[in-house]
Amino acid sequence: MFLINCPYCGERDQSEFSAGGEAHIVRPKQPTELSDDQWAEFLFMRKNIKGVQFERWNHAHGCRKWFNMVRDTSNDKIHAVYKMGEKPPIK
Amino acid sequence: MLNFNSPIMDTKEYSEIKISEVEPILKINLRGKSRDFITKIGKELSIIPPTESNTSSGNENLNILWLGPDEWLLYSNNKIDLNNINILENKLFNEISKAKIGSVTNVSDHWIMINLKGKKVFELLASGCPFNFNEFKKTKGSVTQTLLNHIDVIIHNKNINDLNLFVRRSFSNHLWSWIKDSSRFI
Repeated sequence: MFLINCPYCGERDQSEFSAGGEAHIVRPKQPTELSDDQWAEFLFMRKNIKGVQFERWNHAHGCRKWFNMVRDTSNDKIHAVYKMGEKPPIK
Repeated sequence: MLNFNSPIMDTKEYSEIKISEVEPILKINLRGKSRDFITKIGKELSIIPPTESNTSSGNENLNILWLGPDEWLLYSNNKIDLNNINILENKLFNEISKAKIGSVTNVSDHWIMINLKGKKVFELLASGCPFNFNEFKKTKGSVTQTLLNHIDVIIHNKNINDLNLFVRRSFSNHLWSWIKDSSRFI
């Protein structure tokens, strides 16, 4: 259980949010030219690292907006929260 | 014509809490991003939709609640005449949806409004809600969308210890039962 600072609504309990997986995965420009392996790589393969990870989250039971978050998966420490389309505030 | 069948039609009073379903109430969902949209709403209703999060604006007849950066809920303060239910909706639809500057959707049947009054309403909500009401209860007109007993709700702080709670129709009976049960033990 932890608190998430929604960029639209402010600080809310984690139970109001749903996680949307890794962020900043770029869709291939020409999907039809990809092999099955390359397409599967884009669709399914995620880093799932232990440590600082860039993630997408949705405030499902609040404003229903998607946003990005930089979270340490080992201790749930949130380093940054930023809106969709914005550049990550940390690298 | 919408079919306004109220699912609860009940009022309960406990020592420090009074709960009642208030229907039929006009509720319209407004969505739009452009400046034109905000201006048009202001012109038609004489109320500017709030741009600050978790707030509301209103007059003696209507309230507009902030639901998101491009979404608002308009609802009437008083019960409406079912024969005139579509007048405001049609007016907004013609000015906004047809002009393609936003969307207007009548959600009167989608949401059920429950009024909660009394000194212990926030104790009742705190017993089933992950939201921190400390600042909320001090600010008249504040709005939140959160979970109550795991059910999505919109809560509007109308006045001191006087809240309007909106719940989806399909969950309303279940939530009503939970509120009744919980109120007995607060």
